[in-house]
Amino acid sequence: MIRLVLRYAALALAVVALNFGLPRLLPGDPLDAFAPDGLGPAATLTASARARLQATYHLDQPLAAQFAAYAGDLVRGDLGWSISRNAPVGQLIAERLPWSLALVLTALVLAAALGGGLGLTAAWHAGRADRWLTTVSTLVAALPEFLVAMALLLVLAVGLHWFPLQGGRSAFAGGGLLDVIWHLSLPVLTLVLATSAGFTLLARGAVLGVKNAPYLVAARGKGLSETTLAVRHAVPNAMLPVLTLFAVRLGQVLGGALVVERVFAVPGLGLLAFEAIQARDYPVLQAIFLLASLSTLGAMFGLELVYRHLSPHGH
Amino acid sequence: MVTDASRVRGLAPVRAATQADQGSLAPGPGQAYPPRVGISLVVVIGIGVLTLAAPGLAPYDPRLSVAMPLQPPGPAHWLGTNDIGQDVLSQWLYAARATVAIALTVTILATLLAWSAGLLSGLSARGETPILALIDLLLALPALPLSMLVLTLIGPTQSNVALLLGLLGWPAFARVVRAQVIATRAAPYVEAARGLGAASIHIARTHILPATLVVFPAHLLLTLRFAVFAEATLAFLGLGDPSTASWGAMLGWAFANPLLFTSMAWTWLVLPPALGIACLLLIGGRARPLRNPF
Repeated sequence: MIRLVLRYAALALAVVALNFGLPRLLPGDPLDAFAPDGLGPAATLTASARARLQATYHLDQPLAAQFAAYAGDLVRGDLGWSISRNAPVGQLIAERLPWSLALVLTALVLAAALGGGLGLTAAWHAGRADRWLTTVSTLVAALPEFLVAMALLLVLAVGLHWFPLQGGRSAFAGGGLLDVIWHLSLPVLTLVLATSAGFTLLARGAVLGVKNAPYLVAARGKGLSETTLAVRHAVPNAMLPVLTLFAVRLGQVLGGALVVERVFAVPGLGLLAFEAIQARDYPVLQAIFLLASLSTLGAMFGLELVYRHLSPHGH
Repeated sequence: MVTDASRVRGLAPVRAATQADQGSLAPGPGQAYPPRVGISLVVVIGIGVLTLAAPGLAPYDPRLSVAMPLQPPGPAHWLGTNDIGQDVLSQWLYAARATVAIALTVTILATLLAWSAGLLSGLSARGETPILALIDLLLALPALPLSMLVLTLIGPTQSNVALLLGLLGWPAFARVVRAQVIATRAAPYVEAARGLGAASIHIARTHILPATLVVFPAHLLLTLRFAVFAEATLAFLGLGDPSTASWGAMLGWAFANPLLFTSMAWTWLVLPPALGIACLLLIGGRARPLRNPF
């Protein structure tokens, strides 16, 4: 247990250090852009002004002191200052987070339920349906999310006009809850399709693994119905891989659905990241990377605890 | 002495990886090749021809504005023109080139890294801990936010994208190679070679390395797929080389135009690159990725 905590603490520290170190690994001084021969907007940066800037950003201190300042800011919840929006990054993220959470959590729960159910059915009733389901799932899982998103957008929004093209709510219309749900249904559908394929394949494989296990033969011999067998006896033992994928995906929630939010212009973290790429707004990208990696680590840590609870003899 | 049972157990992850597609692409005795093999071959050869012959086939310079913007497909421009009057067909042909170039570079780099790390961590006691820790860290990091941050910092040139994806693409297979090394290094024939006094470098090269090549076809297919998938996603998000556009970048540009869906322009701006990416990714049919890159 202590080893586990230590391992994850080390990984978290590595992530923070990576986030701190990446910009500093690159050659050059951020203030060089403003030097007289640079092409920056302030073409005349006097030596005293330069020194003042260096002091403001702690650039005149040794790396260890810079890291301490950075870690202190993180502990206080200060994620930095956005260059392009001139606002605290933490505030920007807090504004966008609800959209991403609503979108990704809904899609994840639906995808896990749908994929798990389909996988169980496919494995239980081997045959033509199984082959079709496996083929379609592997093909969908091989495609990037933006292709799935575009296909849905073109057919359901552009072609059939059933759903709005883009955005999180109707412009100028106030936009109640129903309006938001209507706008989010295509992004959610995309994520469900793209994510459930993985769940289907994993659940199918896991159920196939236990399907002919002696304990199931014994249970069948007792005269239990096929439904009881599948739900009460096969599922609990086939849960672990599905649970693992669920935890991995749950950890990625804080990164937002980067690609899908871009296609449908949902104003979540993913779109914030996309806008930050366009504006070369490093602090925003750094904060999103930090949040995404820490939440992934957190989800994996939680998963390890659940593992221990589920199979105490496995460790 | 090693028992048969433990060898079989050691090989299990390898078998799982190579047979993830439910049987390799090679047919069993007395069976015909499944149709997906033929389709994949046609796609591979087609893309290869496009890649090599792009300068000869492309009617225009893909970077120049050669006609009115947003012209529908016609005799002069088979796939129409984009929003700044570039010929979409020429762009599409050159984009195939950019995509394949990145995919091949990433695959070579990731292969070298995966095999070096796998062999080192499986054979050297000193190398084991740091390499495994690195693999753990890389697998735990969310790849897409990391790539976005790094590429924004160092600039999304073609070589930077290939380098980054190569550096991110090896850990999963390094583990598979390592499992294979561990299973092989205890095999009786390796012990016999050691007993005969063979140097460890000789054993690694002539006995252990060949045994790891079982997983090479699966690695090749899945890494190529990873590279295409990841490159297309990054380019779609605007992290591609603007001077050598790939299919993902063409899609990203199309979506940056707010008027895309007000006319039929999407049919020639979106469909060709999207179909190109889909074709490349579906090579090998039902073979499954070890891990979705993003």
